[in-house]
Amino acid sequence: MLVLGIVIGLLVGVFFSRLLFLQRRSEKTNNQIDAPPSEVPLSEVEVHVAELDSVLNAIPLGVVVTDEQGNIILGNHIAAGVGILRHIDVLVDEAVERIIKKSRESNSAVRETLELFGPPPRTLVIEAMPLESEKSIAIIEDISERTRIDAVRTDFVANISHELKTPVGALSILADTIRDEDDLKVIHRLSSKMVKEANRMAQTIDDLLELSRIELDGSVVPEPVSIYSVIAESIDRMAYFAAQAGIGVVSQLPEDDCIVKGDRLQLVSAVSNLIDNAVKYSEKGDKVTVRVIPSEASVDITVSDEGIGIPQSDIDRIFERFYRVDRARSRGTGGTGLGLSIVRHVMNNHGGSVNVTSQEGEGSTFVLTLLRPSGNTAVNNI
Amino acid sequence: MEELRKGFHHELDEVRLSLARLAASVIEAIPRATNVLLSGDLEGAEYLILADDEIDSRSIALEDRCYQLLALQAPVAGDLRQLISILKMVGEIERSADLTVNIAKAARRIYGHSLDPKLRGIITKMGEQAQQLFTSALQSFEENDVAIAGAIDDMDSYLDSLQRQFVQAIFESHAAGSIDLQVAIQLAVVARFYERIGDHAVNIGERVLFIVSGWRPENKGAARHDAKTADGTYGIPLPNLNVTEE
Repeated sequence: MLVLGIVIGLLVGVFFSRLLFLQRRSEKTNNQIDAPPSEVPLSEVEVHVAELDSVLNAIPLGVVVTDEQGNIILGNHIAAGVGILRHIDVLVDEAVERIIKKSRESNSAVRETLELFGPPPRTLVIEAMPLESEKSIAIIEDISERTRIDAVRTDFVANISHELKTPVGALSILADTIRDEDDLKVIHRLSSKMVKEANRMAQTIDDLLELSRIELDGSVVPEPVSIYSVIAESIDRMAYFAAQAGIGVVSQLPEDDCIVKGDRLQLVSAVSNLIDNAVKYSEKGDKVTVRVIPSEASVDITVSDEGIGIPQSDIDRIFERFYRVDRARSRGTGGTGLGLSIVRHVMNNHGGSVNVTSQEGEGSTFVLTLLRPSGNTAVNNI
Repeated sequence: MEELRKGFHHELDEVRLSLARLAASVIEAIPRATNVLLSGDLEGAEYLILADDEIDSRSIALEDRCYQLLALQAPVAGDLRQLISILKMVGEIERSADLTVNIAKAARRIYGHSLDPKLRGIITKMGEQAQQLFTSALQSFEENDVAIAGAIDDMDSYLDSLQRQFVQAIFESHAAGSIDLQVAIQLAVVARFYERIGDHAVNIGERVLFIVSGWRPENKGAARHDAKTADGTYGIPLPNLNVTEE
């Protein structure tokens, strides 16, 4: 509210000095129409207005002021174009106009949240209030990022409870049943189920520990790592699993090995996690391809599959901890939901990045980009 | 030169703005409909149905405004072309909004059935392409850009080919037993809805061409007919109904 107060104060100031400025300018155009503008020194008021204009544009909110007829008399850059997309701008303009009208009619502040589907989805809060002399002001705030982070946080808590509680619940029921059981066969069957559930939970906790280790271990001790060996070890780790699923893993490597600086174990963990996912979400007989594409400043490691792909609506969220596209399926594939978070953190630790492109029904491609140590900056980044 | 008919042109600008806003609402509705279909979001379906009622009411208001301007201002030349075209475009936009509702209703009918990834992939693509077509139509209208308007037709042929691919994928999916006949038919109809949204966008583009250059849309068939009847002969020869079996 304090910020809002300051903003309004500024605006009223800007508005009145702007009026003065406009008046002066119209006088000028009437009287000295032939004078080239560069030769006219800026008056104190004009300097003042220019300053306030830049202040207005520095505010990270959209600001619009309208006159008594609802015509816009003042607005900053953000208000001029909130959206990345054309139709979003059109819809935001419409909403601002409607909300200003509402606030003028009720002579009070009106606040509305506008949710736009995009894509990408945007959430805007628009607040309009009447000013003195029949004018109105609207403030537009883009809270898309905040909304997204809120959703991530809520889902994380829900998901982690789900992942840990399900095996614990199963264990407790199994143990309860086994207590009153005399039949050895049944006891055997139940206890092997208990082992399975306990393993599942242990796996989740292992992954969580690894993730927190990687998260904390921001300062990787950089040592030269051969990409050849990272790929070879990752494929080797997954070979048995892939063979069982009937999926071929092939690699396409450049003629010369590439050397990057980083933690070999973490890199192997990232690449094998990607291969693991690619295998899990492929059909029997499909192929998973690992490629290494070196360029001047960086090396790309890509892992492509021909599997089911990732729905467009989930693609931005798959790197979140425990995020699942399809819960029903993930129980079957037995992952912990942490693999891609680990990949992202490994890449962050190495000053690299991970990107994904996917088409449902055609497959997904994950790209790990690592900086090469040839330039000095690259080494420092690690 | 001082602009004549200032008040009228101001009103014409407002009519244009209303049309752009109507189109923007449809552009927003298309990905929502796709999401309803892919995620079985029944609440989203309900929202689209209500949103369409609003679009209908705004379309009627806009149409009335155009009739008023025609009657009271007797516009000529470019202004007349604008108003007549806007009247036609309102219909195209309103119908496209109906189609997004149709998609949402189809989603309700197939609720609970899972679709295989290939089908989902093509639905995503069709939705994106239909939205892209409509966005281009809006842009060409707002900027009076003939080049974009002309390109919409070509973009539509990609949407048409996606529809054909989709129908093929439905057959395959049905043959493999992953969707039943009822779902298959609903999906085929959905593909048709997307394809129709694209056609409406093409029509809007043609109207923009007309506003800017006076080019009459869809004059290919009409021109063929005119050429045939130019020599004074009249009428189209009827097919022979008295076919006797030999």
